[in-house]
Amino acid sequence: MSTVERAAAAPSLWTKLAETPLSLRIGAAILFLHLLVAATGPLWAPYGYSQMATGIPLAPASLAHPFGVDQLGRDVFSRVIHGGHIVLLLSLSGTALGLVIGSLIGLLSGYVGGLVDNVVQRLLEALISIPFLVLALLAMVAAGPELSGNPLLVVFVVALVYAPRIARMARTAAIEISTRDFVTIAKLRGESAVSVMRRELLPNATSILLVEFALRAGYAPVLIGSLGFLGFGLRPPTPEWGLMISENRSLVMIAPATVIGPGLALASLVVGLNLFTEGIARILGRTVRLGVQQ
Amino acid sequence: MFVTRLIAQRLVMALFTLLLVSFLIYAVLEILPGDVATRILGRDATAQSIAALRERLHLNDPALLRYLRWLGGVLHGDFGESLVSSRRVLEVLAPRVMNTAFLSAYAFLLYIPLATIPALIQAVRRDRPVDHAMSVITLVLLSMPDFLLGTLLLLLFVLAIPVLPAMSTVDQTSDLAEYLRATTLPALTLAIVMAVYAVRMLRDNLIEVLDADYIRMAELRGVPARRVVWRHALPNALVPSLNVTALNLAYLVGGVVVVEKVFGYPGFGSLLVDSLQLRDFPLIEATILIAAAVYIAANFLADVAAILLNPKLRTG
Amino acid sequence: MNELVTVEGLSLSFHSGSGWTRVLHQVSFSILRGEVLGLVGESGCGKSTIGLALLGYKAKNARIDAGRVLYKGQDLLRLERSELDRLRGDRIGFVPQNPTTALNPGMRVGEQLAETLNLHGRSQNLEERLRELFGLVGLSRIERIAERYPHELSGGQQQRVCIAIALACDPDLVVLDEPTTGLDVTTQEQIISLLRELRARLGMAMLYVTHDLGLLAQIASRIGVMYAGHLVELANARLLFREPRHPYTQGLIGSVPRIEAPRGDAPAPLRGLLRRQDLPPGCPFSPRCPLSTDRCGREPQKLASIDGNHAVACWRWPETTLLAGHVAIPAAPSRGDMVNPLLELRNVSIAYGVRSGLLGRLLPGQPFAAVTNLDVVIGQGETFALVGESGSGKSTVARAVSGLLPPRSGQICFNRKQLQPMVQHRSSEQRRRIQYIFQNPDASLNPRARVGTILARPVKLWGASDIRARVTAALADVRLDSAYAMRFPDELSGGERQRVAIARALVAEPALLICDEVLSALDVSVQANILDLLKRLRRERNLTLLFISHDLAVVRSIADRVGVLFRGELMSVGPVERIFAPPHHPYTLSLLEAVPKIEHVENRKPRPPAMPSAANMAPRCAYAGRCAFQLGRTCIDIEPPWQETGGGLRIRCHIPLQELAALSELGRMPASAAVTVP
Repeated sequence: MSTVERAAAAPSLWTKLAETPLSLRIGAAILFLHLLVAATGPLWAPYGYSQMATGIPLAPASLAHPFGVDQLGRDVFSRVIHGGHIVLLLSLSGTALGLVIGSLIGLLSGYVGGLVDNVVQRLLEALISIPFLVLALLAMVAAGPELSGNPLLVVFVVALVYAPRIARMARTAAIEISTRDFVTIAKLRGESAVSVMRRELLPNATSILLVEFALRAGYAPVLIGSLGFLGFGLRPPTPEWGLMISENRSLVMIAPATVIGPGLALASLVVGLNLFTEGIARILGRTVRLGVQQ
Repeated sequence: MFVTRLIAQRLVMALFTLLLVSFLIYAVLEILPGDVATRILGRDATAQSIAALRERLHLNDPALLRYLRWLGGVLHGDFGESLVSSRRVLEVLAPRVMNTAFLSAYAFLLYIPLATIPALIQAVRRDRPVDHAMSVITLVLLSMPDFLLGTLLLLLFVLAIPVLPAMSTVDQTSDLAEYLRATTLPALTLAIVMAVYAVRMLRDNLIEVLDADYIRMAELRGVPARRVVWRHALPNALVPSLNVTALNLAYLVGGVVVVEKVFGYPGFGSLLVDSLQLRDFPLIEATILIAAAVYIAANFLADVAAILLNPKLRTG
Repeated sequence: MNELVTVEGLSLSFHSGSGWTRVLHQVSFSILRGEVLGLVGESGCGKSTIGLALLGYKAKNARIDAGRVLYKGQDLLRLERSELDRLRGDRIGFVPQNPTTALNPGMRVGEQLAETLNLHGRSQNLEERLRELFGLVGLSRIERIAERYPHELSGGQQQRVCIAIALACDPDLVVLDEPTTGLDVTTQEQIISLLRELRARLGMAMLYVTHDLGLLAQIASRIGVMYAGHLVELANARLLFREPRHPYTQGLIGSVPRIEAPRGDAPAPLRGLLRRQDLPPGCPFSPRCPLSTDRCGREPQKLASIDGNHAVACWRWPETTLLAGHVAIPAAPSRGDMVNPLLELRNVSIAYGVRSGLLGRLLPGQPFAAVTNLDVVIGQGETFALVGESGSGKSTVARAVSGLLPPRSGQICFNRKQLQPMVQHRSSEQRRRIQYIFQNPDASLNPRARVGTILARPVKLWGASDIRARVTAALADVRLDSAYAMRFPDELSGGERQRVAIARALVAEPALLICDEVLSALDVSVQANILDLLKRLRRERNLTLLFISHDLAVVRSIADRVGVLFRGELMSVGPVERIFAPPHHPYTLSLLEAVPKIEHVENRKPRPPAMPSAANMAPRCAYAGRCAFQLGRTCIDIEPPWQETGGGLRIRCHIPLQELAALSELGRMPASAAVTVP
């Protein structure tokens, strides 16, 4: 005789929360700190970001000037604080834009298959064959001299660099998910392609896409910093960290703190983002490869 | 044979991609809407200079024709003339490419032990304190931009321990010793960036192999631990690690751009940056094309190696 | 001192994200020299863990809580790695479950075998010993076998290599962990007879771990039954099958569908599910046991001897004979309205690798013919089973019927109307009336959707309005509580997920249900439950079933008519009793003989394996190359005719029916037919 089965108790939210990996918690803490400073910093920074004559130029680090004073007499610490929101905003919005464009293209192409998919794949391959930085620089130059220094250009370029790689990931995900039986069942029901994408593919791809977003967002500060370092990003006197490192580099022998300061800020942000990414990936059961090579 | 067919397929795809890339590069710079000459000279340029440039670059010809002409030239090794110096692009490129090749080879040599030894240690001592400590170190180093790392190394080895020069300028007169002294810091920077990425991946690959069923089976047959690692695990971990190396080679192409700038090394990367700043289009096109070609070649070689080393394609 | 290995009170726990879970509870038994001890139980009962413990192996996240494993006075669990290295492969051998992953893909098989010999100091006359070992396991006929890589060998051949490695140094004990799971039934039979033969020759002891009781009947002298980490019964094999005393053992035996049983019998399956979180401190089986009392739940049961050869862990053992035996149900009249056939396949051929459209004409690929000239008619309300081994094309047929794979030629008609080959071109009504249930319940449910949403979708799509009510009714139909609607698939067990998949198919109110190996991924007791469920639903709704399976016993239990497929061609088709009784098509005969039966505890003389003929290019009879009774060139050059018996059975074979009928009794060819193997 068969009896009606009772459903087993589902695990509660608290147990799930308590199991978050350490990396996630530390990463989230670091990020939270950065966000806090970026948001509130300008309110309590000792000086303005372009304020000069705050102290003796190239003076070593001291309590009054934790990161020293640059050659124009500006307090580097204050500049770092003021620059926090710039990096964060540019990184997150550029990556988000890249994610939206990339995943749409990738998911569609992967599910539809056939000739369309082939063409898209070739195009993506070609774009990915140009190293990150080189592509970004190329785009900068192609945009023409008038737009240089424009933050929107930076956002767009970051999106342009990331979209193909994210699209490739999304395409692979779409192809794999489409092989699973429940997608076949949807096809057997006669569901339209759009409906299948929405109901079956996208919910199962979110974990991959989320991890991709975290991964790319973690490197966007490095990319933006590199652009700034090479003089292709934002223009002085914007307190962008990469730009600052470049500006103060020639005098690193005399005043190392002016380089170490923004460097520390940049590195700690990326560390936080990387840890966060690893934690998210662990929760979602995926592995990530951290590294600029991606 | 099946294998040769696979390799030939890959080769065709690689060449096709390269072709597509060449078109993309040319198109982005010269075919996009908007006047090319103005893009080069800027909006404040005089009408005469714009007209002169148009003449010089044959900008009045149809776009596709210009592309094909350029492509034809490239296939003969003729990349045109630099706008800035009026020398043949190839002349300008060649010494720079050699310099970067030297730097890259040096960086690679340093990278191999830097990557494999920690990965082995971590994989074998998985989840012990050594493993965790190394993971932390690699994470921090990973998160540093290469220009920051380079600058810090500069600080360390020039200021704190004065052994190496601050600027890595070399020229035709420099001998091997000078080359080595000049390139050590940039090579070390590149090597570290490549190594920290590779260590994580190698560790994961090794662990995956060590967790494989046949490894457990080997243990259950009485194979001693050391032999399991060296004879059974490592050879099978070789193939995925090729992928890492290919990715690192690819990174190198972009990484030299920044690192050469940090140390003032006259290589391919700093040439790219300079030509971009000066808007020297022919030079830009050539350098980016070469960069892409190296990247594609690296991936192709990794693909081929993976195919050749794949046990499933071997026959007794 | 006849005991070779003794396990004493072994308790072991595994560590997972949420702490330590006890996996073995005070398990104790001995293995005597030269005996075969079978260890049986369902997934997760701990049998594999014990098998590994006999090699002194424990997983990295395992912890020994108590107990010892004694071999020649030493506790294997506490030896150093170097000492274990000396014993393993030499005195104690291991045959793994999955030979494909257990062999190093980058090393030649000869090298792997030689490695074992060299490591244990038997390197003299290496070449000769290798030849000897390969011959022992029946691989000597393969050219240059030692130089092959594992992937060049079939699953069965790989397993023979693993057996050779296990036996290389003449061990005292061989532990076998489900060695034939994942192999075809006929290959399985060959491996089992090989093992029996080897044991008879070499005399080593064996611990044979499996979930298949029928297998143990072939080879074990004593059998231990495990449930949730407890050893609940241990007895001489014959005794166990004749008089099982523990309620779980009885339920297990009852869950196995029998080939010989009269059709009407329904096995008495086990009730309920194993829930690890809800295990009581006493007997773990008490929540599901029909005889359980309060005392059972409170008091842990120890394995106690009830006579020399029989030990049970149940204090109520004197009363348990009441449960033994089947529940007999009067045989239902044969189903199937053939006057109004529901599904017709006329001369259907299906191939893979066919490129469609322009590309197909420019670059014709190398199509692989999966199904050839299939003619099948399925009547309304009948259950038609399609059986065959993997690669026989049965799933391909299912995909073609459902519209996922267009046939290369032929027609498929549903309700007398021809169906469009691709599902996108069919009418919504046709799509609704044909429903599909997949083999793997993990893959057939969207992990991101709740059960309720999964069930609601077909309802919404096919235009009903009272969605909530229908979903609840569907769940009730498959005997699931309405609370399941809020759950996600990964919170459900395998059996529960398969029920949801069935509910999803039924909520559309189909006419034809395609069941593609729907039981294969489930535990034996769960299989029995689902089978029961399907039968009841089919009765209530007068469903037509196209039932794909490789498991003959299940097919015997549920089908009305059966078609036997070999390499895409129909060999035999007819009512189920006729298929299972002589005369048989030679392939059907080999399938039936390969199935391990519980009743035949006596050693059966195995039929010699068929010789694969070398130069057979596309023989007319697809089975000719493997047929033990092949009539020489006749079978290769001439299309075998369809022969029909009085009872409606059709067999496609050159051998006349009377001779086929005689084959199953005599086991050899009558003298009249000429046998020439080219």
